[in-house]
Amino acid sequence: MDNDIIKIIIDIFHYLFFTGSFLAVLSYVVLSIISAVETIEYVKKNSFVNYNHILSSPISPSITIIAPAYNESLNVVENVRSLLSNHYPNYNVIIVNDGSSDDSLEKLIEAYDLEHVEYVVNEKIKTQPFREGVFKSKNPAFEKLIVVDKENGGKADALNMGLNISESKYVACIDVDCLLLEDALQKMIKPFMEATDHKVIAAGGVIRIANSCVIKGGKLIEVNLPKNLIVQAQILEYLRAFLLGRMAWSRLNGLLVISGAFGIFEKETAIKVGGYDTATVGEDMEIIVRMRRYMEEQNKKYKVAYIPDPLCWTEAPDNYKTLISQRNRWTRGTIETLRKHRKIAFNKNYGKFGLLSYPYWLFFERLAPVVEVTGIIYFGILIAFNLVHWQYAVLFIALAYLFSVLFSIVALYSEELTYNQYKKKGAGYKLILLCFIEPIILHPIVLYAAIRGNIDYYFNKKKKWGAMERKGMTAAETS
Amino acid sequence: MNLYEYLIDAFNQAPVLIQIGFLIVLALIICIITLIISLRAIRSYLNIKGKEIIKNKKEFEALVVEYLYSGTGFDELSEKQLAIITRIKDAIISTSKRKSVITILSNLMNEVSGEMSDSIKTLYHKIGLITYATQRLESKKWHIVAKAIVELRRFKVYETQDKVATFLNHPRKEIRKEAQLYSVHLFKFNGLSFLDDLETPLSEWHQLLLLEALLNLENQKICDITPWLKSSNTSVVLFALKLVKIYTQFETKETLIELLSHPEKEVRVYTLKVLKELFGYEAEESLIENTSTSDLRIDAEMSLLNLVKN
Repeated sequence: MDNDIIKIIIDIFHYLFFTGSFLAVLSYVVLSIISAVETIEYVKKNSFVNYNHILSSPISPSITIIAPAYNESLNVVENVRSLLSNHYPNYNVIIVNDGSSDDSLEKLIEAYDLEHVEYVVNEKIKTQPFREGVFKSKNPAFEKLIVVDKENGGKADALNMGLNISESKYVACIDVDCLLLEDALQKMIKPFMEATDHKVIAAGGVIRIANSCVIKGGKLIEVNLPKNLIVQAQILEYLRAFLLGRMAWSRLNGLLVISGAFGIFEKETAIKVGGYDTATVGEDMEIIVRMRRYMEEQNKKYKVAYIPDPLCWTEAPDNYKTLISQRNRWTRGTIETLRKHRKIAFNKNYGKFGLLSYPYWLFFERLAPVVEVTGIIYFGILIAFNLVHWQYAVLFIALAYLFSVLFSIVALYSEELTYNQYKKKGAGYKLILLCFIEPIILHPIVLYAAIRGNIDYYFNKKKKWGAMERKGMTAAETS
Repeated sequence: MNLYEYLIDAFNQAPVLIQIGFLIVLALIICIITLIISLRAIRSYLNIKGKEIIKNKKEFEALVVEYLYSGTGFDELSEKQLAIITRIKDAIISTSKRKSVITILSNLMNEVSGEMSDSIKTLYHKIGLITYATQRLESKKWHIVAKAIVELRRFKVYETQDKVATFLNHPRKEIRKEAQLYSVHLFKFNGLSFLDDLETPLSEWHQLLLLEALLNLENQKICDITPWLKSSNTSVVLFALKLVKIYTQFETKETLIELLSHPEKEVRVYTLKVLKELFGYEAEESLIENTSTSDLRIDAEMSLLNLVKN
């Protein structure tokens, strides 16, 4: 009798794992197909658009770039220069120095000839107070720049300060170390202006990895494939996530996250929902979920748009320690957001948002690492008790591996046919080779970080952001 | 027994689930190999195509520049220009070369004006690009039609106006928009007549493009904007309000006052802004007195506050 029960439990486990894996693969296949349709549509639509018209228009909407900076002394001057070189006609830049303990503020004051100005802030969102206050440049060449020095309150708090200060209709929230291409704002603002029967509340862009790229004077000169394998693997991972995953979710209007590195928001809605949540480490995902939730509850037609053009380039972690710290944080952010908004889950009142997007994130982002590790432990137990049917096990592993390789190659395919950024000789072979080794060199680390994130979330509540070691893109490219 | 027979034998004896799994593995391997081969082929193709585009660009740029500077100074074309026309005409049978020539001419059109611009338009006609573009208007693919209209607009081709006019209310947004832009670029304010009975909304982006087209035109006669201010299409009203503001149409004051009772808040608020811009402080005061709805009162007060602040 006991043996029968164990056998039933084992069978249930088998069917659960099999169903889970099947659904995961099926969802990837479906997302790849939707993404292909959306990509073709996007490329066709934009093949004859002239973005230069907006540059001289008297009715181009105003945009504020908000870039929080914390101890970014190494590159802050260069990074701000890059942000100031955007072609868009009606924008300004707010750098929020979030209580940096280094000399970021002094460097900015010196480089941009800043002077302290009296500034009354309409505190629509509660934030940490000013430290040194607000600075503007005496030099008319930098009239678009505002530097705010405040007490440390974290990235979300700094972004909220930017939201309070901005007088624009739209805000572009960006990591200060990101390189924004000159035409980024023109392209990102288009979906907001094109909408007629609905409101676009936010738009996200593709984040590309800038390690080893040549950057001069805040401009991207040459795209190179880095030599570091961890960074290479992340390039592939990003291509898969942005060109396949997000593109498809954009078509379904089901995007739950816009990368914190670069996204544009309709300021009114962002403020109405209370701005960024300072209590989470996943503030970029949380604000989107909250904005969507608000719009659903108000019964308003809306969209979260997505632009696949490579407009924002950033430095990716080049060592396992930093990578684990980053992914650990992403995992905690996902758990926090999904828990906070669990009311949405499977709730038909939230439409597609509650019945499709949220469950997908719950099962395939939130729970997937847990299921995977449970599977590995279970497999270990079976080996220990010599209960493994090796024929099935080998076949299952081979299928999982080959599907993973296939999706990476499909992502590469999409990249080649659309933006084709890695044109240099030899890069193609390297990227194909990467498709085969990425599941071995990156996936286990990401899985480990996700599990650590789960453990930290439940057992180490004090853990916050974790340090991101910056080497600086300009330094990286010359080495 | 050789390896092949051994494998077949093992496959036949395996359980059905293993057989299915094995077939999927095989299918995946074939898919991966096929994709890798085609990926390599695409990379090579793009590489070759890229080089060809550069080569074509160099060749045709030189020819176009030579054409532009070989004029006689009179209306008729020189021998050299005629020879260049024949050469380009023969070359553009190839689609890639045609695309290169269109790109070069389009870029040049953006950079030059006056006689030079007219010469480019003449070249566009003489080498037969107009025929290719007109043919593309018949395509069943929306993006090809839209691109053809863009091209005809860029080279100010008036001959196709009747055909393009049929697209002004096209169900496909992109075609409709390009046809409307063509109309405005070529016929200035008269080209805006499609607004009279427009039922579809004009997006802010499209309004911006239409305004840009109008602002780039010189010596234009502004038509009566009032009918559009009374349109049942809210986006047309908003666009007309922008025209009133940019072209300082003081004579529309009465209609603007009427618009303060428009059912759409966006229209009411924008009307206030326009009134403030055109009639200043005096208008603001009387507006607050005459404004009944609370939302508008707040907007009016805010607007007044901004005016005082400025």
